[in-house]
Amino acid sequence: MADALFWLCAVGLVVSSIAVVRTRDLVRAVLWLALALLSTAGLFAYLDAPFLAGVQVLTYVGGVATLMIFGLMVTRRHTKAAAEANNDQNVIGVVAALAVFGVLAYAILNTKLPESSVPPPDTSELGRSLVHEYLLAFEAVSLLLLAAIVGAVVIARRRDAEAREAPGTSSLPSFRAEAD
Amino acid sequence: MNVVLTAVVTCVAILTGILTATAWLIWFERKFSGRMQSRLGPTMVGPSGLAQPVADLVKLLQKEDVVPEAADRALFDLAPKLAALCALGAAAVVPFSATVVGAKIDLGVLFLLAIGAVTVMPVFMAGWASNNKFALLGGMRALAQSISYEVPLVLSAMVPVILAGSMDVSKIVEAQTRDGWYLIDPVWLGLPAFGLFLLAMLAESNRIPFDIPEAESELVAGVTTEYGGMKFALFYLGEYVHTLVASAVASALFLGGWDGPFAPGLHWMVAKTVGLFVFVYWMRWSLLRFRSDQLMRICWYWLVPLAVALLLGAGAWVVL
Repeated sequence: MADALFWLCAVGLVVSSIAVVRTRDLVRAVLWLALALLSTAGLFAYLDAPFLAGVQVLTYVGGVATLMIFGLMVTRRHTKAAAEANNDQNVIGVVAALAVFGVLAYAILNTKLPESSVPPPDTSELGRSLVHEYLLAFEAVSLLLLAAIVGAVVIARRRDAEAREAPGTSSLPSFRAEAD
Repeated sequence: MNVVLTAVVTCVAILTGILTATAWLIWFERKFSGRMQSRLGPTMVGPSGLAQPVADLVKLLQKEDVVPEAADRALFDLAPKLAALCALGAAAVVPFSATVVGAKIDLGVLFLLAIGAVTVMPVFMAGWASNNKFALLGGMRALAQSISYEVPLVLSAMVPVILAGSMDVSKIVEAQTRDGWYLIDPVWLGLPAFGLFLLAMLAESNRIPFDIPEAESELVAGVTTEYGGMKFALFYLGEYVHTLVASAVASALFLGGWDGPFAPGLHWMVAKTVGLFVFVYWMRWSLLRFRSDQLMRICWYWLVPLAVALLLGAGAWVVL
């Protein structure tokens, strides 16, 4: 039963990941990506890490994938034909992917992994270690994220100001412009 | 084999319960709205209007399955199924009584929030696949709304989690049986958190006054514009089940779940859930819908700061 879950998630992950880079329709690519992220969550659940699985779905599928579609919709034209990816770096992409796969596979196969499985971590332990032992790292990451958000706002505002100076060249095509 | 069998039996039992309840609630809502807005018909079809849901269903079943030529066929077909599936999936962890619960998992609240977050995907998928301007606008609105209201929803759901010290919905109900319902104890924390949860939940299930993805006065029928027959019925079912499950979750998190005197737990849980459901539909037939910009302003200017304050308050309450 548990093995069936593993194979379902693993095959789902591989198939959807390939589909993400193979499809030319960008919205479909994001939807495939959502499936890939869901499969990863399934793998977390299989590895007795239900908290990670839940957070994976909540933040990646519910947050990141949604934001990606959102970004796609407000920056590209909304017709089907225009939302296409240009896959003109296919060969380099395949080579890079195979190289990374090779390195990872070599490293994993040559590492002595512990024979017995580690007991699954407790969620409350996870929380405690985040705000006790690793508090500094935790706060540093939040600071980094905050800086990224502030940076994004600054860049977006500057672009807005430029667009206002040169009318008709708005970087965000509005729905009203699409409608006519 | 035993595990699989138990899982199948539990699933069938819960699905049967939920779907039967949905049929009755459709009947109730049709009559309720009929009385409120003087709609003739729903109160008179058959004895006490009992034939109305049957008539609705037969009408939907008869319709031809129309797929627009320019639609993205695969996604167009997939979206309604996923919509219904997401709504039904959330029912798995709702404890209807101390013993009647599909899956007892430690992180029930997280599971519910995660499924709630995914629910927007099929809605957007429908809007995109229809290849229709109104549908796509509806899908975009659904995305914007869901990503905004997710924040107060998650934060307000964390209040009972912090108070009970557990993410297991059953344990939260047990804690309330012991300490008193979180709605009234502590009332300054529970009442606003409950209100916030209810509002965010209405927004997530696209209910009036938050139904801007559908907005029939502006967008024809929003994401469901191109859908007819059974595919539309699946969206409709998904919306009902989502509201029903969300009502059940709200009663478990804030209203003490199955806790209550005299009657067995299941009765109390059902009574509270149906009570909340009726309240939601009462709002639906009483209020107007917000504009999209008002919706965003309410969320980011009022609900999110309030939710953060409540979260801090809950932390302080537990520590002090």
